[in-house]
Amino acid sequence: MKRLNALTSIAAAVGLALTGTASAGIFPQCPDGATPIPPKFNTRGSIDTTALPADAKVCGHLAAGDGWALRADGGRHYTFGFSNVTGVPNEDVVSKGLFNAKWSAPTLAFREGQQVYLALSNVGLLLRPDLFDPHSIHFHGFPQAAPVYDGVPDASAVVNAGSTFTYFYKVNDPGTYIYHCHVESSEHMQMGMLGTLYVKPKQDTVPAGTVLGSFVHTANTRYAYNDGDGSTRYDVDFPVQLGGFDGPFHDLHEAVQPLPFHEMRSTHTFINGRGYPDTVVAGALPAVQVDEADPGSVLAESSQVVSGLIQATAGQRILLRMSNTSVAEYFTVTVLGLPMRLVGQGAAIARARNEAGVVGLDWAHDVGSLTLGGGESVDVVIDTTGVQQGTYFLYTTNLNYLSNGSEDRGGIMTHIVIN
Amino acid sequence: MTMLSTSWTAAARLACAVAMFGVMPHAMAKVDGVTGSAFTLVAKAGYISTADGGSIYNWGYALQGGGVAPFQYPGPTLIVDQGTMVEVTLINELPANVSLLFPGQIDVKTTAFANGSQPAGCIGGAEGERWADGRITREARPRGCLKYSFIASNPGTYTYHSGTQMPVQLEMGLFGALIVRPSGAPNQAYEHPATRFDREHLLMLSEIDPVWHEAVRQQAEAVVLPAANGSFDWSVNTSGFAARNPLYWFINGRTGPDTMNGALAPELPAQPYNALPRMHPGERLLMRTINAGRDLHPFHTHGNNTWTVAVDGRVLGSAPMAGPDLARSDNTLRMVPGQTVDAIYEWTGKGLNWDAYGIADGHACNGVTIAEATANPNDPRLQLNGGHDPATFEFCPDHGKPLPTVLPSTLEMTFGDVYSGSPFLGSTGGVPVGAGRLGSGGAYFHMWHSHNEREIINNGIFPGGMMTFVVIEPVNVPID
Repeated sequence: MKRLNALTSIAAAVGLALTGTASAGIFPQCPDGATPIPPKFNTRGSIDTTALPADAKVCGHLAAGDGWALRADGGRHYTFGFSNVTGVPNEDVVSKGLFNAKWSAPTLAFREGQQVYLALSNVGLLLRPDLFDPHSIHFHGFPQAAPVYDGVPDASAVVNAGSTFTYFYKVNDPGTYIYHCHVESSEHMQMGMLGTLYVKPKQDTVPAGTVLGSFVHTANTRYAYNDGDGSTRYDVDFPVQLGGFDGPFHDLHEAVQPLPFHEMRSTHTFINGRGYPDTVVAGALPAVQVDEADPGSVLAESSQVVSGLIQATAGQRILLRMSNTSVAEYFTVTVLGLPMRLVGQGAAIARARNEAGVVGLDWAHDVGSLTLGGGESVDVVIDTTGVQQGTYFLYTTNLNYLSNGSEDRGGIMTHIVIN
Repeated sequence: MTMLSTSWTAAARLACAVAMFGVMPHAMAKVDGVTGSAFTLVAKAGYISTADGGSIYNWGYALQGGGVAPFQYPGPTLIVDQGTMVEVTLINELPANVSLLFPGQIDVKTTAFANGSQPAGCIGGAEGERWADGRITREARPRGCLKYSFIASNPGTYTYHSGTQMPVQLEMGLFGALIVRPSGAPNQAYEHPATRFDREHLLMLSEIDPVWHEAVRQQAEAVVLPAANGSFDWSVNTSGFAARNPLYWFINGRTGPDTMNGALAPELPAQPYNALPRMHPGERLLMRTINAGRDLHPFHTHGNNTWTVAVDGRVLGSAPMAGPDLARSDNTLRMVPGQTVDAIYEWTGKGLNWDAYGIADGHACNGVTIAEATANPNDPRLQLNGGHDPATFEFCPDHGKPLPTVLPSTLEMTFGDVYSGSPFLGSTGGVPVGAGRLGSGGAYFHMWHSHNEREIINNGIFPGGMMTFVVIEPVNVPID
């Protein structure tokens, strides 16, 4: 919101002056021959193309706007965020996307090798019509990126309200990533424009019986990376997106007040956009507020559709795709009673590369806790072989963040249920 | 790849942009600093500038040479060769005792100067005791001096900093970088050739609470030193200090966007080091990254993952000469206070699935023209050399492929200052009046910044702080 940088003021003013012209429009791009995403993989909580071929061209469409999210201690946070409008007719995108921000943003999952066309429509900010912020998608950690599709406003061009920018990525590198808006990032990321993004490896799709080192692939085994030896294999995977909001910052934003950037602290902390005990709700949380005059409006939609509950059957291997999207804090998390093994970090397998004179070694190792700063991600496998059935806790050892505001027993905590 | 004249023009445009932005020839991807084996550092007070127009009272180590010791933040980067006997003379012009620690160095000796043999500016005086009263090394008294010496046995990236009242003196700026180059291998970070680099840059992170600095100034300027040099043990009284609350975040002593200004910029006389690495595709850029602050900083590199090959001056290897066989790939360096991280950053645009150089100029890749690649995407020459053109490092399997999307009209977008207006490396495109003026060279700018985004502000004003860019130049734009 603050436009105090002299270097950008002219560009911003030019963009602003022209935003209202007739040229603007909703224009998601999808090439001929793209593979449609089946409805069950195109939900308000996720866009998942991993069941489609590795050479497919796939098309997603996100709207960027504002909304509300439930606070676990009651009330609501005003947010900026993304919603999934993939397949929505162009003429309906603004009405569908307006004030429909999700926290966290829809989870995106792609198959290694796919060509991803990801459109972003800026539908404007309903409660802040005084603002005219552009938005972007930064595919955080995308290797070998080019600025035009990287979403950094200084180094590229970002889309104004009422228009659509289509990003393109050929997803060559499996891993656990995040994506977020990079425009006025301290503000837009504090406000909630962040989600989890996976690229799943081609090794998932090898025929059953394929020998991977000392491991033999079976039909339902999945892998975090193309490990060649089954060491990153899992049966079920879950996003564990750590995050935090500065409650007063969000309140000031909704009240159209100056924003104290330098006082930014996390008063509310989250897994997948929820504070405990909302984290253990299996499905979507209730809508924040239903407009009685218009019960069918987007206000009736839940803003928090990505659950924080982790469930598995004893004997399964669980992959936790963990990231930290906080703009203010490091978090350390632990799991009581279950073994964890770090198999990847920074959307890369825990293995050094081979170079002339170097044979890269695997440095995956067992861990008791994990520390992540903003923008960091790790892949952690929990092997439940031989563990007792029951409910286990994943929580932050930064005990001051085990709260929702001043309410105790909240924040970064969830259940891992072994059935 | 044969670049057309547009790119040479781009070089000229860059020179123009460089002039506008005050970037000087020092602003290359190399470590600025002082080489040798004997150095004299003067601990003194001075002022630094922040990009919001602020001015902060600081302490720092100044390099004495030619009779002057200009104040600077951080201290001078000392660059020495492995095996050298390094001698650092510390002269203390501050009212408090000051010292030097060299983390990672072995068997650091301290030597007091005998009366009559002190260097100019020193009237003698060093505390003679270690350990007592929490002193972890010998300290130079106010107006005193002391010599520290050690043999730089191990190559790598290190810090030096005060060992006296560290919670205050490091906050105040008494730190700097120490680089030890491996014997006979100046283009390697360590003995093993897998730590080689084409370019290198220092990235020293820190943060400042200006309220503390003002409180220290008020106390320090009220100190009256006795006429004769004796034991004078004053230190900052922090009992009335509020909880530390940094408002500024720095790379190499500058807040963004001053980080991108030239090294030795005359308008930043106390902050000589910049943080704007430039590189060509295919080169290995060594990031000598140091956290000199007391908060953790997640340092995110746009454009590509890095390979961390060493931490704290020690190679991530399974055996002494195995090389970095435990290297870690990441897109966000977890910078822990006091730690140094050596990471290799590379970029070629491999696998974009579109031609990063555009398809309009007829350039070739591995000798294959755009027309030939379009007619036969399976031309075997495109796969030669690991798919990279040996001269330009263009990734040839993407050669000749058009940009997959149509960009919105310029009326529908807001343009960044370092965007050339073109998606293609080495090209420029139309931008609205006033936009993109710092990207007119056609380079790719990738942001490097703290992903604790609250740290890319200057005293509440976005953007700034711990933020800069790496500049990827087409191969025919000269660097250095």
